[in-house]
Amino acid sequence: MSRHVRLLCALGVLCLPLAIPSAHADLMSTVDRSMATFNPAGKYVRKPIERAVPRLNFRGAFRQWGDVLIDTDDRVGFREQDFRFAQLQNLLELEMSYQIGPGLELNAVTHALYDGVYDWQNSAALFADRDDRTVELYDNAERLMRELYVSYRRPGFDFLLGKQQVIWGKMDGQFIDIINGMDRREAVQLETEDFELRRLPTWMANSTFHFGRNSLQLLYIFDFEEDRQAKPGTPWYSPAIPPPNALGQIILPRVGPQSSDFDDHEIGMRFDRSAGALTYGLIYAWLWDKNPVGHVVGTTDDGATTLVDLQPRHQRLHHFGVTADYATTLTDAPLVGALPSVFRMEALWTKGVRFQDYTKVEAARAGAATDGTAQHDTLRMALAAEFGLPHNTTLIFQPSLYYTFGWNPNLGYGFGGGIGDEWTLIPVIFVSRPFAFSRDRLSMNFTAFPVVSGPDKEWQGIKTKLRVRYKFSQFISTQLVYNGYDAGRPNEFYGQYDEWDNIGWELNYEF
Amino acid sequence: MNSDQRTRGMGHRSVLLTMLLAPALAGAGEPTWHTVEQLTAEEQALFDPAENTPRDPAIPYLPAEAYPFSAPYTAEEMGYRAAEFPHISRWTHSLVDVFGVITSTGYINQGMGVSYVEQTTGPGLDGYMRGLAAGNIHSKWLIYSNFPPETEAEQQLWLVYRTDPKFTTKMDFFVYSPAMRRVRRQPQPRRDQRFPDNAQTFDDVIGRDPWEMDWKLLGVDVLHQTVRYPGTRPTITLNNGNQGFVEENTATIRPMGPDYAHYRADAGVDCWVVMGTIKPDLVPDYNEKFLIFWLDKAHFYPLRSEKYDRNGNLMMVEVRNARNENPAREGFGYSAHNTVYWDIPHDIMSYSFHDGHEPVTWTEEQKGMLFTPEFMRRQWLVKPVKSLSLVENPDHYFLRPHLDREKFPEVRKIALAPELEARIAAQESAGHLVFDEGSAAAGGQ
Repeated sequence: MSRHVRLLCALGVLCLPLAIPSAHADLMSTVDRSMATFNPAGKYVRKPIERAVPRLNFRGAFRQWGDVLIDTDDRVGFREQDFRFAQLQNLLELEMSYQIGPGLELNAVTHALYDGVYDWQNSAALFADRDDRTVELYDNAERLMRELYVSYRRPGFDFLLGKQQVIWGKMDGQFIDIINGMDRREAVQLETEDFELRRLPTWMANSTFHFGRNSLQLLYIFDFEEDRQAKPGTPWYSPAIPPPNALGQIILPRVGPQSSDFDDHEIGMRFDRSAGALTYGLIYAWLWDKNPVGHVVGTTDDGATTLVDLQPRHQRLHHFGVTADYATTLTDAPLVGALPSVFRMEALWTKGVRFQDYTKVEAARAGAATDGTAQHDTLRMALAAEFGLPHNTTLIFQPSLYYTFGWNPNLGYGFGGGIGDEWTLIPVIFVSRPFAFSRDRLSMNFTAFPVVSGPDKEWQGIKTKLRVRYKFSQFISTQLVYNGYDAGRPNEFYGQYDEWDNIGWELNYEF
Repeated sequence: MNSDQRTRGMGHRSVLLTMLLAPALAGAGEPTWHTVEQLTAEEQALFDPAENTPRDPAIPYLPAEAYPFSAPYTAEEMGYRAAEFPHISRWTHSLVDVFGVITSTGYINQGMGVSYVEQTTGPGLDGYMRGLAAGNIHSKWLIYSNFPPETEAEQQLWLVYRTDPKFTTKMDFFVYSPAMRRVRRQPQPRRDQRFPDNAQTFDDVIGRDPWEMDWKLLGVDVLHQTVRYPGTRPTITLNNGNQGFVEENTATIRPMGPDYAHYRADAGVDCWVVMGTIKPDLVPDYNEKFLIFWLDKAHFYPLRSEKYDRNGNLMMVEVRNARNENPAREGFGYSAHNTVYWDIPHDIMSYSFHDGHEPVTWTEEQKGMLFTPEFMRRQWLVKPVKSLSLVENPDHYFLRPHLDREKFPEVRKIALAPELEARIAAQESAGHLVFDEGSAAAGGQ
């Protein structure tokens, strides 16, 4: 099936809800009224619990997501692609907050997740659950007990102690949002709206001082959670990554920071100020890179070739960041007259990011004394302009830049830098609007993520996303999503996922 | 004591009987309304027909006469007095806003949020007009959502500006999303645009500056009923501040509340009917061509208002039940207790219940803490206010307001789709909303 036919089919499926109101109006009308107050978990679970324990605030949600690949191919790049479902996830989230005393609360968030992609289809390519059960089922306390912290609040002071997530930044994507690791099992399909569920909470002490229009946040992090990338044998494992033996490498166990070692603890601070139409903030953090870089620690001669022994290690990094936003209403804009607008920016400069340097790795293989890495500073930043257009239409244009200082073509990937290149530019375009004929219950949004970079790769493909959301009731909503990955070569950022176009659904029930 | 109780009970029943019968009696007898040409001598004495009154030398778009003016009143002065009472009261207070929307098929969507309001100037319209220069923040609203679960702990901060013909930015707008744990500055909503899944526009919430309209008196009228409860909802539980939760008979809820001293013998409220036409030079490309307001004669409280589109067709009816929530301000202390908005082109109906209203004085520490974007990150509901006034069932939803087609037909152009006419007829017959079935629902879409 050609790409255009597939796209048309996908659009047809996504637009199916548009036909429902007129085709099945009887049913819709009946469903509307019965769904209006349908909240069994709220009625039979939440209310009785809160009534029995008045100091407890209890809430929950059940989410069901599925993604179906439009096409499957037996072999793509270095991996098999013999599966149809890229995601069949069911997540139960329970959130509790118990008021111990004035300003003092105990908070907990639990997650129970099951992903059916490993059980509900016959695939030889999906085998990661044999090595790591958490990709299929959360079966350990670390994943089940997602957050657990005590909070103490006074008018000028907050103190939170325990396992928690701290979110810095407000752009689409991650720029100064650097505190917690992330479960990146969805690779390029992971987006901002999923961060809350995919971030990996960390044990830390988090205090914030509030004075006037200013606030100062201080973090002391005594736990470390690395990013969890899509693993071999998972649906989104990159087809562009060759197996280690093909590269003449032996990958040794990772060496990471230890909670028990005082020297491995991390710190962060953030200052914010709001001044009328302008708000701004400054951040500094001394953190471990969430992704290790392979250091050459030796070589092994297997008789025919010399293999390099790579040990993944994390690098301690200094991060300096800035964030600002400004609101105004533009007057006499063409076609729309008054135009409410917001402009945002975020930037993060990171000092001494460790990269793998392939020239040095080869030198090490030849016997030179080098660990095969190099350090470079990086900058990632984004500017966003958001406009409130007529008919509740929102338009956001967000150019995002990733830059590696002192780049050379032999470098691998490093935190914050260009994607396989000196610089990478992703000018994100987002449009969303609800539809009045559905009484605004139906809404649609479209996002395009084109990736250009230089001086080497130039064009790395484009991701497009079309999402149709329908609100069944104030408790239940659903959405259909099309994700397409087009253009770019097979070893490039979006180009490698050219065969991963998919249609997904999401069903959310919150009580 | 017993005899007192019996008397009170009888009085209560007679009020109830009067209120139940009043709309029917009014409809059956003499018209309740008459035009400006038919004003009585008493009404003429209160009305000044002048159109070009002296302007304030310092702020030329304001009338020169000191606010709140004195009788006789021009139509413009009536419009200014009505601007005393926007959706959110012009004094420092807290409340819980219970709101919802219903469609013709019975889809109901509701929310509830605790609101804290801080005024940077003195209370009232005078504080807004003269307390600070345009471009300064005159009011701060922090709204903490606690229903439905999807939006629980979601917060909004509205920092509302004093505007004038030159400075037109209405507010700085921040939203905290607990799902993303981020505070984001948002563009202010477009003024004349319905909020998604709602009948209200931004200006319906924030209010319109009276100098943005040309004012004209159409006549007078008597309103007996504004917000209409269905027969399926005989009582409602309200949070009456220091009295706690009180169950009230919905048939006895009166438009200006229980303490209003100016009800007529037939329980009606005497109103001025005033038309405000949007000035296109000040508000270009506005969706609303003009608005008509029913203002109670004692305090100029807008009990009913209607919006007309660029073609002069009725597009929305807003009706309010008011209460004097701030007795210290006497007649200026009235506030929207319950408001129903009916968007006619889409036949969707929103309501907003301001329950548990309490005038408060924020401490300096609270002022500095609560009304900042960063405070929302703390997810801290410092002063909970509860309500039990959510609509539990679509059948219990408010009725569409009366259309009163016979009143002021020269300016009130009302053209309804046949399916909407059918829904209204079914509602009036049943005494509660009757929802679409089958093709009627589709037609109504």
